[in-house]
Amino acid sequence: MYYWHWLRNIVRRPYTTGYPTNRDGVVVSMGNPDGIKEFSDEGLRGMSRRAVALRQVDSGSCNGCESELSLLSSPDYDLTRYGFSVAPSPKHADILVVTGVVTERMAPVVKAVYEQMTEPKRVVAIGVCAISGGVFREAPGVIGSLEGIVPVTIQIDGCPPTPGDILRGLLWAVDGKDPEAVQGVMA
Amino acid sequence: MSISLDLVWDLAAHYYENAGEWAQDITVYRKDAEIVMLAMLDHHLELAMLHRTRGQIERFVLNVQSEPIGLPSGFFVGEVLAAEERIRAEHSRLTWAHAPYPKKSVKGKGVFTYPLGPVRADVSEALLYQLQVMGDEIVRLDLVHQLKRRHVRPLCLGKPASDAVKIVERTTGTSTVAHALAYSMAVEQALGLEMDSGVAQCRMIVAELERVYSHLGDLAALAASTGMPIPQMEYLHHKEVLLRLNHHVFGHRYLRGVVIPGGIQAIQVPSAREWAGETIVTMRDDVERMQHDLERTTSFLDRLHGAGIIPQETLDFVRPVGPVGRASQRDCDVRRMRPYLAYADADFEVPSLEDGDAYARFVVKTKELIQSLSLLRRLLVSEDWMHAQARSLTDRELSKTPGVGLAVIEAPRGLLSYRVEVGSDLTIRHLDVSTPSERNWYVVPPAIANKNILQDFPIIDASFGLSVAGWDK
Repeated sequence: MYYWHWLRNIVRRPYTTGYPTNRDGVVVSMGNPDGIKEFSDEGLRGMSRRAVALRQVDSGSCNGCESELSLLSSPDYDLTRYGFSVAPSPKHADILVVTGVVTERMAPVVKAVYEQMTEPKRVVAIGVCAISGGVFREAPGVIGSLEGIVPVTIQIDGCPPTPGDILRGLLWAVDGKDPEAVQGVMA
Repeated sequence: MSISLDLVWDLAAHYYENAGEWAQDITVYRKDAEIVMLAMLDHHLELAMLHRTRGQIERFVLNVQSEPIGLPSGFFVGEVLAAEERIRAEHSRLTWAHAPYPKKSVKGKGVFTYPLGPVRADVSEALLYQLQVMGDEIVRLDLVHQLKRRHVRPLCLGKPASDAVKIVERTTGTSTVAHALAYSMAVEQALGLEMDSGVAQCRMIVAELERVYSHLGDLAALAASTGMPIPQMEYLHHKEVLLRLNHHVFGHRYLRGVVIPGGIQAIQVPSAREWAGETIVTMRDDVERMQHDLERTTSFLDRLHGAGIIPQETLDFVRPVGPVGRASQRDCDVRRMRPYLAYADADFEVPSLEDGDAYARFVVKTKELIQSLSLLRRLLVSEDWMHAQARSLTDRELSKTPGVGLAVIEAPRGLLSYRVEVGSDLTIRHLDVSTPSERNWYVVPPAIANKNILQDFPIIDASFGLSVAGWDK
């Protein structure tokens, strides 16, 4: 019953954006061009650029970042085209993705997940809450920053950051350089 | 034309000195009413109820003396379990007549506890499921929450009323508008501000846009849990299309900062109206076709039919709201019971089913999705909303001194209420929130431990589509 739809989709222009390795004005306009910061290049060496498994941990988010992360697997972004996948267990993961402000009860969980991951491993902090605490910085029972808990490689700013920005930040974490810089070479 | 934002503010209050009488009157009045909120004020325990047919809010206020108070769940008012838990923890000087329910567990040969979470699944929120299984069958489920509590309420106290909206709209990311709207309506009511019809229409548009993308995300998760990647991708694509529309018309994908106390803060795009209308029409056709296809996919239906039926006792005790409630005989939609904004004149149906299983929840969500898209198409025809603006909170009519506002609205996941006390310096003196998720989560354990096997768990979990952020706020 889906066959008719498959045929229609073959004729249609693909939904998937080429961003970040190709230009896409729509995705760029939604994002925050200066939102991604390389926090430390510690551990940026030695990452195999073949199939990178992600493990997401919610340390106190509002589920906005989760909503954007789940859209990464949508046909519009399709994170698997860069070799990314989501691993259910931290032991299979290469990149730890942390969303949300760090609460006192979730901090040991984030640390435990990081310790369970095998080397080489990286941490990507997604959203202003995970980076600096955002509006919840002053709240009781909130640590507010990943500093001292896990070493952050890349920070992706935004509330929540768009899937385009997340994809760019994840590629940055793997390659150690901004994937947008590749656009000129390829075009 | 200036319309009153929310009917007549009919907060009829009943005062009690005796806890027994309070409890008795609540249980009697509750037969025709929905409990909106349980709040602990300075020396008063206040329970607000919304009459189902009259649409009137009544408050039952108990003057708290030193005598012990009966737990509301002790006299079978289960809707307030989360509030009760919070009040017990925060107000240690209160003495309670009964101890809270003892923690139950199942013991015996062959019973295993299967801990799942707080790190689980692909992308998920932090919640620990303690599944007790015997073979494949789930015999009991305990949820360990409060892992990600961000203390939204204490954080808002003392903040200016116009700033605190930034915090409340981050309570639940996928219900941003609902939280901002309920909060703004409560603040406006406390200040005696009236909004014009353009603002009401614009707020209705953003509220329905949010309902649509939230339901699309839930349906995508449900399709993924049953191993149906095609509908999952279709639903996700439509969600992305709608989020891009949100960004283009209102300046934020999740509509943050759009609804503020005093009006609407939106970037106006003149070409937006027609373009948004076309997108909505195409989406409606596609979503209808997808529902039609899924209704004919036996491998999908087999997993949903009869899975996660909510037991009748749980329904009577917790009385779930929103799509979860409407899928199990509970006809509870605030847009109908107490129309706010311009919902009184809006033409839409509220789907309701009787089975209370995962399939009923799927059908209710798909039907609501189509109703909301039709409603959006009609709302976008008018031009009034394009000129909606924000009013400053300081230019209010000073005839009324700042006071208390109570707003009840229908969020994507159900009944959401805010009670806000604003001081004369326009700061928040007291804030109380009751979210649909904090009520509906109490339905999940009995529904899952109801003759289901472990393989049904992800499907039932996805069919509820609740947010942990709304519970651990």
